[in-house]
Amino acid sequence: MNQKNYIMHLIGELSSYILEGEPKRMVISLHQEKDGIHLCILDEKEHSDEEIERLNMEMNSKKRPELSGYYGAMVGKDLLGTARLDLLGWQVKHATVSKTSEGIKIDLWIGGDSFDDRNFTIPKEA
Amino acid sequence: MLNQDKILKIIISTIILYFIILAFAIDQTSFMGFLKLQIMPARLINDFIETAGTGPSLLNSAIVGIIAMAIIWINKVEFSGPTFAPVLTMMGFALFGKTVVNILPIIFGVYIAAKLAKKEFRQYLIIALFGTALGPIVSLIGIELGLSLFTSIFLSIIIGIATGILLPSLAIAMLHLHQGYNLYNIGLTCGFLGLFFSGILEGLGVDLTTTISWNTGNSPILISIIPTISIVFIILGLLIGKKRAITNFLKIQKLSGRLPSDFMNFNSLDGALINSGLIGIIATIYVYAVGGAFNGPVIGAILTVMGFAAFGTNLRNSWPVILGVFIAVNLFGYDLNDPNALLAIIFVTTIAPLAGEFGISIGIIAGFLHFSMVLRTGSWHGFLNLYNNGFAGGLTATLMIALIQWFKDNILNIDFFKFRK
Repeated sequence: MNQKNYIMHLIGELSSYILEGEPKRMVISLHQEKDGIHLCILDEKEHSDEEIERLNMEMNSKKRPELSGYYGAMVGKDLLGTARLDLLGWQVKHATVSKTSEGIKIDLWIGGDSFDDRNFTIPKEA
Repeated sequence: MLNQDKILKIIISTIILYFIILAFAIDQTSFMGFLKLQIMPARLINDFIETAGTGPSLLNSAIVGIIAMAIIWINKVEFSGPTFAPVLTMMGFALFGKTVVNILPIIFGVYIAAKLAKKEFRQYLIIALFGTALGPIVSLIGIELGLSLFTSIFLSIIIGIATGILLPSLAIAMLHLHQGYNLYNIGLTCGFLGLFFSGILEGLGVDLTTTISWNTGNSPILISIIPTISIVFIILGLLIGKKRAITNFLKIQKLSGRLPSDFMNFNSLDGALINSGLIGIIATIYVYAVGGAFNGPVIGAILTVMGFAAFGTNLRNSWPVILGVFIAVNLFGYDLNDPNALLAIIFVTTIAPLAGEFGISIGIIAGFLHFSMVLRTGSWHGFLNLYNNGFAGGLTATLMIALIQWFKDNILNIDFFKFRK
C-alpha cells in the first residue's frame, strides 16, 4: 500500500469514528514531519472521560504485527458497523487523545520502520 | 506471576501432551500408524479415526499442534486469541485432513510470500497457520493421482508452496468482501482458490468425486476428550479471574465478535477460557442429544469453535445462526445427526458476528442461508478446502453485508445531508 492510500484509510477510520457522534464540525489536519506524518483530528462534541481513556488505551495498544499485517488491511475500508480504533492502534507510532474546550483532539504520529521519535513533535510528557 | 502468554503456552502444551498420552495408551503402534496416515487421502470428509485409527490420529493432531506452536514461538508472536484459535483449529483438523506432510509446503509458501512483499513472516503468520486448510491439494497430488514417486513428491511440494504464495493477497481481498463478519476468512480464501484448482484438475481429467469416511464407534475416550478440556478451561478461568471471572465472561457476551476480536485482549484470559469451556460443553451435549458421532470431524469442529471462543465466537452471537441452521436442517428433511447437518450446526458460528452486530433476525436468516450453501460448496472446490463451512459462511456473509450496506445507504439514510441540530 502506498503512503497516500495508507493515510486515506487512517483518515477514513478516524472520520468514521468521529462522525458516528454526529458532530457539527470536524477538522482534519495533516503535517509532513522529518520522519513521518502527524495526523490531527478535532470535533466539537462532548466526550466522556471514560471514552477518552478507552481511546487512549486502544490507540496506544501493544503493537501486534501478526494482526496488523493481515486484519490491519480493514482500516478505513470496511466501515459497515462501529468504527474500530484499535485497528489503528497497532499501526501508529504514537497517539494522544485529549479534551479541548469544545470537544476532542486525536493526534497520531505515523512513521516507517526507521522511525525516530526525536524527529517528531510528540509532546515530551507523552 | 505467570502472564497470559505463558499460561496459554502451558495450556496448549498440556492439551498436546494429553493427546500424545491418549494416543499411546490406546495404541502402542500409534507412531507407525501416524507415519502411514501421512500418505492417506485427506480431502473432505476423511475421518482419520476411521481410516488410520484413534491413536495415530491423536498423535498426528499433537504433532501438528507442536508445529503450530513452534512457528508462533520462533516468530516471537504472543499467545492470545488470534494464536490460540489457529493452534486448536489445526489440531482439530489434523483429525480429518491436515497432516504434517501436507501442511508444511503451504506454510513455506506463505513464508516466501512474506519475503517477496518485504514483510516479516509474523505479519502473515495467521494466514500461514489457517492456510493449511488446503493441505489436501498436497496430499491429492502426492498420493492420489498415481504419478511416479519423484514426480508426485516434486509436484505436490511445488503446488503446496505456490498455494502458500497466493494466500496472503487473496486472504486480504476476501476480508473486504465480508468486512470481517466471517470468522473463517481463510475458509473463504481457500474455497475461492480451490475453485481454480478443481477446475484445472477436472480439466485434466482428474476425478474429484469423493466418499465420506465417518467413524461412528463412539468410544468412551473420544466422547470424553472435549468435556475434559472444557471443564479444565472453566476451572482455570474461575481460578485465574477469581471474583471477576463471571463478570468478564458476561462482558465477552456483549462483544459482536467481528474480526479481529481478540477476547483475551479486549476483555480477559479468564473470561475467554470460560467462554471456550462452556461452548465445548454445550456442543458436546448437543452432539450427544442428537445421537451424533464423536469422531475426528466432530471433535475437530468443536475444538475449532473452542479456539474461536477466544477470537470472535460467544454464546450470545452464536445461538441465532445455529437456530437458522437448525430450521434449515429440519425444513430440508435432514437428520440432525447427518454429517453435513452436524458439522454445519457447529461451524456456522463462523458467521456469528453477523448476529453479534446486526441482531437476532439477521443471524437466523444467515444461518438458514449458510446451510443451503454448505451442502453445495464442497463439490465446487472438489472437497479440497477443509474449511468448507468457512467458504459457505464467507459467501453468506458477503451476501448479507452487501444487502445490509445497500439497505443502510439507500433506505435508512436517504436524507443524509440532514445535520444534527
